[in-house]
Amino acid sequence: MEHLALIYFGLFSLISVVCASMVLFARHPINGAMALIGLMTSLSGLYAILHAPFLAVLQVLVYAGAIIMLLVFVIMVLGGAKDDHTPRFDALGLGLLIVPAGILAVLVHAFRTAPLAIDEKAVRGTVDVTGQALFNVSTGNVVLFEAVGLALLAALVGAVLLAKRSLDSSKENKA
Amino acid sequence: MSTIPALYIQFLAATLFCLGLATTLTRRNLFFLLMGIEVMLNAANLSFVGFSRTFAGAASIEGLTIPVFVIALAAAEACVGLAMLILVFRSRESVDADAYSRMKE
Repeated sequence: MEHLALIYFGLFSLISVVCASMVLFARHPINGAMALIGLMTSLSGLYAILHAPFLAVLQVLVYAGAIIMLLVFVIMVLGGAKDDHTPRFDALGLGLLIVPAGILAVLVHAFRTAPLAIDEKAVRGTVDVTGQALFNVSTGNVVLFEAVGLALLAALVGAVLLAKRSLDSSKENKA
Repeated sequence: MSTIPALYIQFLAATLFCLGLATTLTRRNLFFLLMGIEVMLNAANLSFVGFSRTFAGAASIEGLTIPVFVIALAAAEACVGLAMLILVFRSRESVDADAYSRMKE
C-alpha cells in the first residue's frame, strides 16, 4: 500500500515526460496536440494522487476538454497538413537548447539543497476546502477571482474583435 | 499516507518546464510555440501542488488555489493566442515563425 502511491507516481511521471518529449519532437501539430492530451490527463492523475482532487477534475475539464479541443479545432480549420515543408528545428533553435538545459541544472541544484519534505498535516484539496479558500474575503482570493473573471471577459472581447476585424478586411478586399 | 518524496515532484515539474521551454524556443511552427507555453504553465501548476503538500493546515490550500487562476488565465491566453494565429495565418498562409519576422510589409 505504501509503495502503491510511488508506483502510480512513477507511471504518471513517465507518461507525462514522454508526452512532453513527443510535443517537442512531433512533426505535425495534430500529433503534438494528441501528446498534449496525454500530458494533461497524466497530470490530472498526478494531482489526484497528490491529494488535489478538485484540481484533477479541473485539469481534465478545462485543459483536456476545452483548451486542447480549441487547439485541435484551429489546427483542423487552418489545415495544418500544409505545414509539412516547414522544418522542425533550425541551427539557431538547437543552439538555444542551452537555455532550458541551464535552467534545469540550476533548478535541480536548488531543489537538492532545499530542505523539502511532505507535511503529513497538509489539507486534502477537496471541492469544499478549495472553494472555501477561493471565495475567502479575508485573504483577498475573491478579489483575485473577480480579476480573473474580468481577464477572461477581456480575452473573449479581444478574440471577437480580432475575428471581426478580419471579417471587415475580407469585405474590403472584395469591394 | 503519501509516500511520494516532495523532491521527485519538483524534479518532474522542472523537467516538464524545461521540455516546454525547449519546445517554445526551438520549434519553428507557430502551433508548437503555443503548445510549449501550455506545457510550461502545467509544469508550474504541478510545482505549486507539490509545494502545497509541504505545508500544514490552511497554508497548504493556498498552493491549490493558485493553479485554478493559472488554468483560467491559460484558457484566456489560448483563446487570444489562437485568434491571433488565425489572423496572421490568413495574411501569410504560413505557420513558420520565420515568415513573420518582419512586422511591417
